[in-house]
Amino acid sequence: MDFGNIVVAVDGSEASQDALSHAVSLASQGNTTLTGIFVIDSQWADFIGNDWQSSKGARQGFLDYIRKEQEEQAEAARTQFEQATQGMEQAAFSVHAGDPTAVLLEQASCAGTGMLVTGRRVFQISGRPSLKALAVTLAKRASRPLLLFP
Amino acid sequence: MSNESPGFFRQLPSALPGLALIIVTLVVIRTWIEPWMAGAVILGQKGWLIKVFHLNFILLGILCGMLYRNVIFGGSMPEIFSNGFKLSRLMIKTGIIMLGSLYTFSAIVQLGAMAIFLIGGFVILTIIMVLWLGKLFGLDRSMTGVLANALSICGVSAAVATAPAVEAKGSQVAYAIATILGFGILTMFISPFIGHALGLTDLQYGAWIGTGILNSGQVLASALAFNPNVTPGSAVSIAEIWNIMRVISIPFAVFAVTVWYWAGQSEADSAGKKKGLGTLLVEKFPVFVIGFMVMVFFTSMGAFGDVGIKGGPPASGTIKTLRDVMQWVFGFGLVGLGGYIDFKELRQAGGAPLKLGLIVGATKYIMALVVVLLIKDYLVSI
Repeated sequence: MDFGNIVVAVDGSEASQDALSHAVSLASQGNTTLTGIFVIDSQWADFIGNDWQSSKGARQGFLDYIRKEQEEQAEAARTQFEQATQGMEQAAFSVHAGDPTAVLLEQASCAGTGMLVTGRRVFQISGRPSLKALAVTLAKRASRPLLLFP
Repeated sequence: MSNESPGFFRQLPSALPGLALIIVTLVVIRTWIEPWMAGAVILGQKGWLIKVFHLNFILLGILCGMLYRNVIFGGSMPEIFSNGFKLSRLMIKTGIIMLGSLYTFSAIVQLGAMAIFLIGGFVILTIIMVLWLGKLFGLDRSMTGVLANALSICGVSAAVATAPAVEAKGSQVAYAIATILGFGILTMFISPFIGHALGLTDLQYGAWIGTGILNSGQVLASALAFNPNVTPGSAVSIAEIWNIMRVISIPFAVFAVTVWYWAGQSEADSAGKKKGLGTLLVEKFPVFVIGFMVMVFFTSMGAFGDVGIKGGPPASGTIKTLRDVMQWVFGFGLVGLGGYIDFKELRQAGGAPLKLGLIVGATKYIMALVVVLLIKDYLVSI
């Protein structure tokens, strides 16, 4: 069965392990391309917008701290993906920046995506509360085949 | 991940559309909507909307900001308006610095002494309550540390200042912020009703919300919603002295919570990560407070003429102009602040942090009112 390009959301945690294992299995069966993606959340400055009184150092220090945490997570996601795809030739991993919901929705609606595979709790480790609704948003608005894992 | 703005002047051209939207919004509200509300007869009563809902240009401005983001723009600020709305922080800081023109040093000492007593007591008791409840609810120490300062001092700013010092994860900070903002927004809208219903004076109201409302933006908005006048003794002049006391206490509270956090970690874990009070003061002290104090200094020296304190000579023309400008500056800033209130984030807050936040937030809010009413005869007016 040819799924075309399978895209899987990976965050380096258990939340993405089942989805990743299943995506690897599907890609191996269909001999198709597998793309793992991690999204660095670019919305933090906006999210803390109600903070108007922090010193520049405190605010920027916080944003740098969150960015470092997310970069570490991106590395963990890359490691998780590379371990799961050992021996696969058509596997690639990429890191995106943006609103994780918007980036995944774009992948789930892109003609080049054969199927999007993701866990419901992916990207929640350093995520904003709205990411809890990621799976619901994808299920409502994705135009490409979508495989959701608990 | 987008970083902070590259600087005011480089950002200004891209900020113009957002600034224009904010300015047009407030001008429309103040020129047409507010006068219409004052004259409109609803349910047989003239000015019903103002008398019943206590709507003024401040609350309407915040509501418009919220409407833009959550309804008209579908949940996020479009790129074209984003930089303009980011400048709302600068507007509020500018307004607070200008607010220094309401006080002389003697007024600051009178109000400040009272504020230190109330704020200090509530900060310490709130931190103790959060640490105790955090343990009771089995919350992670980092999460408890962030909540302790966010609930005791000034909401989002304190959460942002504390998170790196207690190694909080992004999601922990996010849930603390969502909890605080949700509660803060609720209290921002209900406090003017309660204040008017109880017949509180500006002094009592300012002292209450300056102590009881969790987030500083909401303290400012709630004070101006109760009384939009920016004069000595008005709700905003009292509440903001309280707020400045809270802001000044951020580095000290971060230090205290950091000491508590690292006391529970091993020496190996904490090596090289603990920061001293001096470092925290340099990193976390908000510079606009110095601007505010410089303004108080010039006011005390008579640089702007008479300030119009009760019983004294009337305010000078310069001071009156400054106060008119302040109303507009705060109005612009709060439209922008409303544009940062994101319902989809607030809706998803939950779990133990929300439970703890609601318990502590409600206790602090109610107790602040009770204490202010108990000591109302001892509160000093300016």
